[in-house]
Amino acid sequence: MKNAARWILVLLTAVAGAFGQEQDKAALVRTQQELAAESDLAKEPRFYFILDVRRKNLELRVKGMTLRSWKLRSMRFWGKPAFSKTVQLVRRSTLNPPQRNVIKPGEAATAKDPANFELEALELKDMPRSFSLEFDNGLHVSVRAENSGLRGLAEEFAWYGVLPVRNFFRSRNGKPMSELELKFENEKDAQAIYWIFFEGIKGLVY
Amino acid sequence: MWWRRLIVALLAMAYLEVLVVVGVSYFSGLKQAVVWPPKVEGAAVADKDVLRVQRNIQGLQRRIASLQPRGVYIVVDTGENRIYVKKGNEVVRQAVVSCGSGDVLQDPTGKRKWVFDTPRGEFYVKSKITNPYWVKPDWAFIEEGEPIPKNPDDRVEAGSLGDYALGFGDGFFIHGTLYTRLLGRNVTHGCVRVGDDDLKEIFKIVPLGTKIYIY
Repeated sequence: MKNAARWILVLLTAVAGAFGQEQDKAALVRTQQELAAESDLAKEPRFYFILDVRRKNLELRVKGMTLRSWKLRSMRFWGKPAFSKTVQLVRRSTLNPPQRNVIKPGEAATAKDPANFELEALELKDMPRSFSLEFDNGLHVSVRAENSGLRGLAEEFAWYGVLPVRNFFRSRNGKPMSELELKFENEKDAQAIYWIFFEGIKGLVY
Repeated sequence: MWWRRLIVALLAMAYLEVLVVVGVSYFSGLKQAVVWPPKVEGAAVADKDVLRVQRNIQGLQRRIASLQPRGVYIVVDTGENRIYVKKGNEVVRQAVVSCGSGDVLQDPTGKRKWVFDTPRGEFYVKSKITNPYWVKPDWAFIEEGEPIPKNPDDRVEAGSLGDYALGFGDGFFIHGTLYTRLLGRNVTHGCVRVGDDDLKEIFKIVPLGTKIYIY
Protein backbone atom coordinates (compact mmCIF):
# COMPACT_ATOMS: atom_id res chain seq x y z
CA MET A 1 0.00 0.00 0.00
CA LYS A 2 2.82 2.34 0.97
CA ASN A 3 4.64 1.46 -2.27
CA ALA A 4 1.58 2.21 -4.36
CA ALA A 5 1.20 5.62 -2.72
CA ARG A 6 4.87 6.34 -3.34
CA TRP A 7 4.52 5.39 -7.04
CA ILE A 8 1.46 7.59 -7.41
CA LEU A 9 3.36 10.50 -5.83
CA VAL A 10 6.32 9.98 -8.18
CA LEU A 11 3.99 9.79 -11.19
CA LEU A 12 2.12 12.95 -10.16
CA THR A 13 5.40 14.83 -9.66
CA ALA A 14 6.61 13.72 -13.11
CA VAL A 15 3.34 14.81 -14.77
CA ALA A 16 3.37 18.16 -12.94
CA GLY A 17 7.02 18.69 -13.92
CA ALA A 18 6.34 17.97 -17.58
CA PHE A 19 3.32 20.27 -17.56
CA GLY A 20 5.39 23.02 -15.91
CA GLN A 21 8.08 22.68 -18.57
CA GLU A 22 5.51 22.97 -21.36
CA GLN A 23 4.15 26.09 -19.67
CA ASP A 24 7.65 27.57 -19.43
CA LYS A 25 8.30 26.85 -23.11
CA ALA A 26 5.04 28.44 -24.19
CA ALA A 27 5.78 31.46 -21.99
CA LEU A 28 9.20 31.76 -23.66
CA VAL A 29 7.64 31.88 -27.09
CA ARG A 30 5.13 34.43 -25.93
CA THR A 31 7.86 36.62 -24.43
CA GLN A 32 9.76 36.42 -27.71
CA GLN A 33 6.69 37.49 -29.68
CA GLU A 34 5.96 40.36 -27.29
CA LEU A 35 9.54 41.63 -27.38
CA ALA A 36 9.67 41.39 -31.17
CA ALA A 37 6.47 43.45 -31.43
CA GLU A 38 7.77 45.98 -28.91
CA SER A 39 11.11 46.19 -30.69
CA ASP A 40 9.29 47.32 -33.85
CA LEU A 41 7.44 50.00 -31.91
CA ALA A 42 10.48 51.15 -29.94
CA LYS A 43 12.47 51.75 -33.14
CA GLU A 44 10.29 54.77 -33.92
CA PRO A 45 10.71 57.99 -31.90
CA ARG A 46 7.07 57.82 -30.85
CA PHE A 47 5.21 57.03 -27.66
CA TYR A 48 3.48 53.69 -27.43
CA PHE A 49 1.60 51.80 -24.76
CA ILE A 50 1.69 48.31 -23.35
CA LEU A 51 -1.48 46.96 -21.79
CA ASP A 52 -0.52 43.85 -19.88
CA VAL A 53 -3.84 42.17 -19.26
CA ARG A 54 -2.42 39.39 -17.11
CA ARG A 55 -0.56 41.72 -14.76
CA LYS A 56 -3.32 44.36 -14.91
CA ASN A 57 -0.87 47.05 -15.81
CA LEU A 58 -0.84 49.84 -18.38
CA GLU A 59 2.37 51.60 -19.38
CA LEU A 60 3.35 54.51 -21.58
CA ARG A 61 6.73 53.92 -23.18
CA VAL A 62 9.15 55.41 -25.64
CA LYS A 63 12.27 53.67 -26.95
CA GLY A 64 11.69 50.83 -24.52
CA MET A 65 11.65 53.18 -21.50
CA THR A 66 8.62 53.30 -19.26
CA LEU A 67 7.54 56.91 -18.80
CA ARG A 68 4.37 56.29 -16.81
CA SER A 69 2.64 53.30 -15.46
CA TRP A 70 -0.85 52.75 -14.08
CA LYS A 71 -2.03 49.82 -12.02
CA LEU A 72 -5.56 48.75 -12.89
CA ARG A 73 -7.94 48.22 -10.02
CA SER A 74 -10.00 45.80 -12.05
CA MET A 75 -10.55 44.71 -15.61
CA ARG A 76 -13.31 42.80 -17.31
CA PHE A 77 -14.27 42.01 -20.85
CA TRP A 78 -16.97 40.83 -23.16
CA GLY A 79 -16.35 38.89 -26.30
CA LYS A 80 -13.12 37.32 -27.34
CA PRO A 81 -10.51 39.91 -28.19
CA ALA A 82 -7.56 38.51 -30.11
CA PHE A 83 -4.29 40.42 -30.11
CA SER A 84 -1.55 39.17 -32.32
CA LYS A 85 -0.11 42.44 -33.55
CA THR A 86 0.15 46.13 -32.85
CA VAL A 87 -3.09 48.06 -32.36
CA GLN A 88 -3.63 51.74 -33.10
CA LEU A 89 -6.00 54.12 -31.35
CA VAL A 90 -8.51 55.38 -33.90
CA ARG A 91 -10.87 57.40 -31.72
CA ARG A 92 -11.39 58.64 -28.19
CA SER A 93 -15.00 59.27 -27.32
CA THR A 94 -16.80 60.62 -24.31
CA LEU A 95 -20.18 62.14 -23.51
CA ASN A 96 -18.73 65.51 -22.52
CA PRO A 97 -15.46 66.12 -24.33
CA PRO A 98 -13.33 68.87 -22.79
CA GLN A 99 -13.65 72.23 -24.52
CA ARG A 100 -10.81 74.58 -25.31
CA ASN A 101 -11.05 78.15 -24.13
CA VAL A 102 -11.09 80.63 -27.02
CA ILE A 103 -9.16 83.82 -26.25
CA LYS A 104 -10.71 87.09 -27.33
CA PRO A 105 -8.02 89.44 -28.65
CA GLY A 106 -7.35 92.10 -26.05
CA GLU A 107 -8.65 90.16 -23.08
CA ALA A 108 -5.10 89.12 -22.14
CA ALA A 109 -4.37 92.74 -21.22
CA THR A 110 -6.98 92.70 -18.42
CA ALA A 111 -5.83 89.22 -17.37
CA LYS A 112 -2.43 90.68 -16.55
CA ASP A 113 -3.95 92.46 -13.58
CA PRO A 114 -3.27 89.98 -10.73
CA ALA A 115 -6.44 90.98 -8.88
CA ASN A 116 -8.64 90.03 -11.84
CA PHE A 117 -6.62 87.09 -13.07
CA GLU A 118 -8.57 83.92 -13.50
CA LEU A 119 -6.85 81.01 -15.18
CA GLU A 120 -8.83 79.62 -18.10
CA ALA A 121 -6.98 76.64 -19.43
CA LEU A 122 -7.47 73.03 -20.41
CA GLU A 123 -5.99 71.09 -17.53
CA LEU A 124 -5.85 67.51 -16.36
CA LYS A 125 -8.76 68.10 -13.96
CA ASP A 126 -10.96 69.03 -16.95
CA MET A 127 -10.46 65.65 -18.62
CA PRO A 128 -13.32 63.11 -18.50
CA ARG A 129 -13.25 60.39 -15.87
CA SER A 130 -15.09 57.98 -18.11
CA PHE A 131 -14.48 57.50 -21.83
CA SER A 132 -13.92 54.97 -24.59
CA LEU A 133 -11.00 54.15 -26.80
CA GLU A 134 -11.59 52.53 -30.18
CA PHE A 135 -8.80 50.66 -31.86
CA ASP A 136 -8.21 49.76 -35.50
CA ASN A 137 -8.78 46.04 -34.89
CA GLY A 138 -12.31 46.63 -33.59
CA LEU A 139 -11.34 46.54 -29.93
CA HIS A 140 -13.36 48.89 -27.78
CA VAL A 141 -11.88 49.85 -24.41
CA SER A 142 -13.89 51.64 -21.73
CA VAL A 143 -11.75 53.51 -19.23
CA ARG A 144 -13.23 54.72 -15.96
CA ALA A 145 -12.54 55.38 -12.34
CA GLU A 146 -14.28 53.32 -9.68
CA ASN A 147 -17.79 54.75 -9.37
CA SER A 148 -20.38 54.23 -6.70
CA GLY A 149 -24.03 55.28 -6.35
CA LEU A 150 -26.27 55.86 -9.33
CA ARG A 151 -23.43 56.18 -11.81
CA GLY A 152 -22.00 52.87 -10.66
CA LEU A 153 -25.42 51.23 -10.97
CA ALA A 154 -25.87 52.58 -14.50
CA GLU A 155 -22.46 51.20 -15.47
CA GLU A 156 -23.34 47.79 -14.05
CA PHE A 157 -26.64 47.80 -15.94
CA ALA A 158 -24.86 48.68 -19.17
CA TRP A 159 -22.29 45.97 -18.57
CA TYR A 160 -24.62 43.16 -17.57
CA GLY A 161 -27.75 44.23 -19.42
CA VAL A 162 -26.89 46.09 -22.61
CA LEU A 163 -23.55 44.62 -23.61
CA PRO A 164 -24.60 40.96 -23.56
CA VAL A 165 -27.51 41.69 -25.88
CA ARG A 166 -25.29 43.73 -28.21
CA ASN A 167 -22.72 40.99 -28.10
CA PHE A 168 -25.35 38.37 -28.96
CA PHE A 169 -26.65 40.20 -32.02
CA ARG A 170 -23.20 41.22 -33.24
CA SER A 171 -21.98 37.62 -32.91
CA ARG A 172 -24.92 36.50 -35.03
CA ASN A 173 -23.96 39.06 -37.69
CA GLY A 174 -20.43 37.70 -37.73
CA LYS A 175 -18.98 40.76 -35.98
CA PRO A 176 -18.37 39.56 -32.43
CA MET A 177 -17.67 42.25 -29.87
CA SER A 178 -14.40 42.71 -28.15
CA GLU A 179 -14.99 45.03 -25.24
CA LEU A 180 -12.53 45.65 -22.45
CA GLU A 181 -13.26 47.71 -19.38
CA LEU A 182 -10.39 49.14 -17.38
CA LYS A 183 -11.15 50.55 -13.94
CA PHE A 184 -8.77 52.67 -11.93
CA GLU A 185 -8.70 53.37 -8.22
CA ASN A 186 -8.11 57.05 -8.74
CA GLU A 187 -10.11 59.20 -11.16
CA LYS A 188 -6.93 61.17 -11.89
CA ASP A 189 -5.47 58.03 -13.51
CA ALA A 190 -8.38 57.81 -15.95
CA GLN A 191 -8.04 61.54 -16.69
CA ALA A 192 -4.30 61.17 -17.30
CA ILE A 193 -4.95 58.42 -19.82
CA TYR A 194 -7.38 60.65 -21.71
CA TRP A 195 -4.77 63.40 -21.64
CA ILE A 196 -1.91 61.23 -22.84
CA PHE A 197 -3.52 58.74 -25.23
CA PHE A 198 -3.80 60.79 -28.40
CA GLU A 199 -5.49 59.44 -31.51
CA GLY A 200 -2.98 57.49 -33.58
CA ILE A 201 -0.94 56.15 -30.66
CA LYS A 202 0.11 52.55 -31.21
CA GLY A 203 0.46 49.87 -28.63
CA LEU A 204 0.38 46.25 -27.62
CA VAL A 205 -2.28 44.44 -25.65
CA TYR A 206 -1.27 41.08 -24.27
CA MET B 1 -62.74 39.88 -21.04
CA TRP B 2 -60.91 37.73 -23.62
CA TRP B 3 -58.93 40.61 -25.13
CA ARG B 4 -57.54 41.57 -21.73
CA ARG B 5 -56.34 38.03 -21.27
CA LEU B 6 -54.83 38.13 -24.75
CA ILE B 7 -52.90 41.35 -23.95
CA VAL B 8 -51.63 39.88 -20.67
CA ALA B 9 -50.59 36.70 -22.49
CA LEU B 10 -48.81 38.71 -25.21
CA LEU B 11 -47.04 40.86 -22.59
CA ALA B 12 -45.99 37.76 -20.67
CA MET B 13 -44.66 36.19 -23.90
CA ALA B 14 -42.75 39.37 -24.78
CA TYR B 15 -41.31 39.48 -21.28
CA LEU B 16 -40.27 35.82 -21.50
CA GLU B 17 -38.73 36.45 -24.91
CA VAL B 18 -36.67 39.35 -23.51
CA LEU B 19 -35.55 37.12 -20.64
CA VAL B 20 -34.56 34.36 -23.08
CA VAL B 21 -32.60 36.78 -25.33
CA VAL B 22 -30.82 38.36 -22.37
CA GLY B 23 -30.14 34.93 -20.86
CA VAL B 24 -28.85 33.36 -24.07
CA SER B 25 -26.72 36.38 -24.94
CA TYR B 26 -25.39 36.58 -21.41
CA PHE B 27 -24.28 32.97 -21.40
CA SER B 28 -22.91 33.11 -24.94
CA GLY B 29 -20.86 36.12 -23.80
CA LEU B 30 -19.75 34.29 -20.70
CA LYS B 31 -18.71 31.30 -22.80
CA GLN B 32 -16.52 33.56 -24.91
CA ALA B 33 -15.25 35.45 -21.89
CA VAL B 34 -13.94 32.42 -20.03
CA VAL B 35 -11.54 31.59 -22.85
CA TRP B 36 -9.87 35.01 -22.73
CA PRO B 37 -7.22 36.01 -21.88
CA PRO B 38 -5.82 32.76 -23.29
CA LYS B 39 -3.82 30.67 -20.89
CA VAL B 40 -0.29 29.65 -21.66
CA GLU B 41 -0.70 26.22 -23.10
CA GLY B 42 0.71 23.65 -25.48
CA ALA B 43 4.21 22.72 -26.48
CA ALA B 44 4.80 25.86 -28.51
CA VAL B 45 8.46 25.14 -29.06
CA ALA B 46 10.44 21.94 -29.48
CA ASP B 47 13.10 21.05 -26.92
CA LYS B 48 15.91 21.58 -29.41
CA ASP B 49 14.69 25.13 -30.11
CA VAL B 50 14.47 26.35 -26.51
CA LEU B 51 18.04 27.60 -26.48
CA ARG B 52 17.51 29.48 -29.76
CA VAL B 53 14.38 31.16 -28.40
CA GLN B 54 16.23 32.17 -25.21
CA ARG B 55 19.03 33.68 -27.31
CA ASN B 56 16.45 35.55 -29.41
CA ILE B 57 14.88 36.98 -26.27
CA GLN B 58 18.23 38.19 -24.96
CA GLY B 59 19.00 39.71 -28.36
CA LEU B 60 15.68 41.54 -28.45
CA GLN B 61 16.15 42.83 -24.90
CA ARG B 62 19.60 44.13 -25.84
CA ARG B 63 18.24 45.73 -29.01
CA ILE B 64 15.48 47.57 -27.08
CA ALA B 65 17.93 48.66 -24.36
CA SER B 66 20.27 50.03 -27.02
CA LEU B 67 17.53 52.38 -28.24
CA GLN B 68 17.39 54.21 -24.91
CA PRO B 69 19.24 57.53 -24.73
CA ARG B 70 22.75 57.51 -23.32
CA GLY B 71 23.53 60.10 -20.68
CA VAL B 72 20.92 62.49 -19.32
CA TYR B 73 17.56 63.14 -20.95
CA ILE B 74 14.54 65.27 -20.12
CA VAL B 75 10.97 64.07 -19.64
CA VAL B 76 8.08 66.54 -19.42
CA ASP B 77 4.64 65.49 -18.19
CA THR B 78 2.35 68.24 -19.51
CA GLY B 79 -0.69 67.00 -17.58
CA GLU B 80 1.01 66.93 -14.19
CA ASN B 81 3.21 69.92 -15.09
CA ARG B 82 6.43 68.20 -14.08
CA ILE B 83 9.88 68.08 -15.59
CA TYR B 84 12.33 65.27 -14.88
CA VAL B 85 15.99 65.14 -15.78
CA LYS B 86 16.87 61.45 -15.86
CA LYS B 87 19.87 59.27 -16.41
CA GLY B 88 18.80 55.72 -17.16
CA ASN B 89 16.02 55.05 -14.69
CA GLU B 90 17.39 57.45 -12.10
CA VAL B 91 15.79 60.87 -11.66
CA VAL B 92 18.62 63.38 -11.39
CA ARG B 93 16.39 66.44 -10.91
CA GLN B 94 12.66 67.08 -10.95
CA ALA B 95 10.64 70.26 -10.76
CA VAL B 96 7.15 71.69 -11.01
CA VAL B 97 6.65 73.57 -14.27
CA SER B 98 3.94 75.29 -16.32
CA CYS B 99 3.01 73.87 -19.71
CA GLY B 100 0.67 74.92 -22.52
CA SER B 101 -2.82 76.17 -21.66
CA GLY B 102 -4.53 74.53 -24.64
CA ASP B 103 -6.28 77.85 -25.35
CA VAL B 104 -7.15 78.88 -28.88
CA LEU B 105 -6.52 82.29 -30.42
CA GLN B 106 -8.00 83.33 -33.72
CA ASP B 107 -6.56 86.15 -35.81
CA PRO B 108 -9.34 88.80 -36.18
CA THR B 109 -8.92 88.51 -39.98
CA GLY B 110 -9.84 84.82 -39.61
CA LYS B 111 -6.82 83.71 -41.59
CA ARG B 112 -4.70 82.34 -38.76
CA LYS B 113 -5.37 80.30 -35.66
CA TRP B 114 -3.07 79.28 -32.82
CA VAL B 115 -3.57 76.45 -30.32
CA PHE B 116 -1.38 76.93 -27.26
CA ASP B 117 -0.43 73.34 -26.57
CA THR B 118 3.03 72.21 -25.55
CA PRO B 119 4.12 70.01 -28.46
CA ARG B 120 4.36 66.31 -27.65
CA GLY B 121 6.90 63.82 -28.84
CA GLU B 122 10.66 63.43 -29.03
CA PHE B 123 12.79 66.57 -29.31
CA TYR B 124 16.33 67.55 -28.45
CA VAL B 125 18.04 70.60 -26.96
CA LYS B 126 18.95 72.71 -29.98
CA SER B 127 20.15 75.82 -28.19
CA LYS B 128 21.26 76.97 -24.76
CA ILE B 129 20.89 80.68 -24.13
CA THR B 130 21.89 82.78 -21.12
CA ASN B 131 19.89 85.98 -20.48
CA PRO B 132 17.51 85.26 -23.35
CA TYR B 133 15.41 87.89 -25.09
CA TRP B 134 11.94 87.08 -26.24
CA VAL B 135 11.19 87.97 -29.84
CA LYS B 136 7.44 88.31 -29.58
CA PRO B 137 5.57 86.51 -32.34
CA ASP B 138 2.42 87.88 -34.00
CA TRP B 139 0.06 86.05 -31.65
CA ALA B 140 1.50 87.88 -28.63
CA PHE B 141 0.35 91.22 -30.10
CA ILE B 142 -2.99 89.87 -31.31
CA GLU B 143 -3.69 88.36 -27.91
CA GLU B 144 -3.08 91.71 -26.25
CA GLY B 145 -5.13 93.56 -28.83
CA GLU B 146 -2.13 95.54 -30.03
CA PRO B 147 -1.04 96.24 -33.62
CA ILE B 148 1.70 94.00 -35.01
CA PRO B 149 4.89 96.13 -35.24
CA LYS B 150 6.62 96.60 -38.56
CA ASN B 151 10.03 97.17 -36.97
CA PRO B 152 11.54 93.83 -35.76
CA ASP B 153 13.26 95.63 -32.86
CA ASP B 154 9.84 96.41 -31.38
CA ARG B 155 9.26 92.71 -30.91
CA VAL B 156 12.20 92.19 -28.57
CA GLU B 157 11.42 91.92 -24.88
CA ALA B 158 13.99 91.36 -22.14
CA GLY B 159 13.46 89.60 -18.82
CA SER B 160 10.27 87.68 -19.45
CA LEU B 161 12.05 84.38 -20.21
CA GLY B 162 14.14 84.39 -17.02
CA ASP B 163 17.90 83.86 -16.87
CA TYR B 164 18.22 80.78 -19.08
CA ALA B 165 16.47 79.13 -22.00
CA LEU B 166 16.80 75.74 -23.68
CA GLY B 167 15.40 75.81 -27.20
CA PHE B 168 13.87 72.67 -28.66
CA GLY B 169 12.65 73.95 -32.01
CA ASP B 170 9.84 75.91 -33.69
CA GLY B 171 10.16 78.74 -31.16
CA PHE B 172 9.53 76.50 -28.15
CA PHE B 173 11.76 76.84 -25.08
CA ILE B 174 12.21 75.52 -21.59
CA HIS B 175 12.72 78.85 -19.82
CA GLY B 176 12.27 80.82 -16.60
CA THR B 177 9.23 82.74 -15.47
CA LEU B 178 8.07 85.85 -13.65
CA TYR B 179 4.84 84.08 -12.67
CA THR B 180 6.18 81.53 -10.18
CA ARG B 181 2.84 81.27 -8.38
CA LEU B 182 1.41 79.70 -11.54
CA LEU B 183 3.94 76.86 -11.60
CA GLY B 184 2.00 73.61 -11.59
CA ARG B 185 -0.77 75.05 -13.77
CA ASN B 186 -1.25 74.92 -17.53
CA VAL B 187 -0.82 78.53 -18.43
CA THR B 188 1.80 78.99 -21.16
CA HIS B 189 1.60 79.44 -24.91
CA GLY B 190 3.40 76.13 -25.44
CA CYS B 191 6.77 76.71 -23.78
CA VAL B 192 7.74 74.99 -20.54
CA ARG B 193 8.26 77.47 -17.72
CA VAL B 194 10.51 76.45 -14.84
CA GLY B 195 11.32 78.17 -11.50
CA ASP B 196 14.66 80.00 -11.29
CA ASP B 197 16.63 77.58 -9.08
CA ASP B 198 15.49 74.46 -10.91
CA LEU B 199 16.14 76.07 -14.29
CA LYS B 200 19.66 77.04 -13.29
CA GLU B 201 20.40 73.46 -12.23
CA ILE B 202 18.81 71.91 -15.33
CA PHE B 203 20.71 74.34 -17.56
CA LYS B 204 23.95 73.24 -15.89
CA ILE B 205 23.29 69.47 -16.14
CA VAL B 206 21.91 69.30 -19.67
CA PRO B 207 24.24 69.52 -22.70
CA LEU B 208 23.25 70.49 -26.23
CA GLY B 209 21.67 67.58 -28.07
CA THR B 210 19.98 66.16 -24.95
CA LYS B 211 16.82 64.25 -25.82
CA ILE B 212 13.52 65.68 -24.59
CA TYR B 213 10.38 63.53 -24.32
CA ILE B 214 7.17 65.46 -23.85
CA TYR B 215 3.83 63.75 -23.23
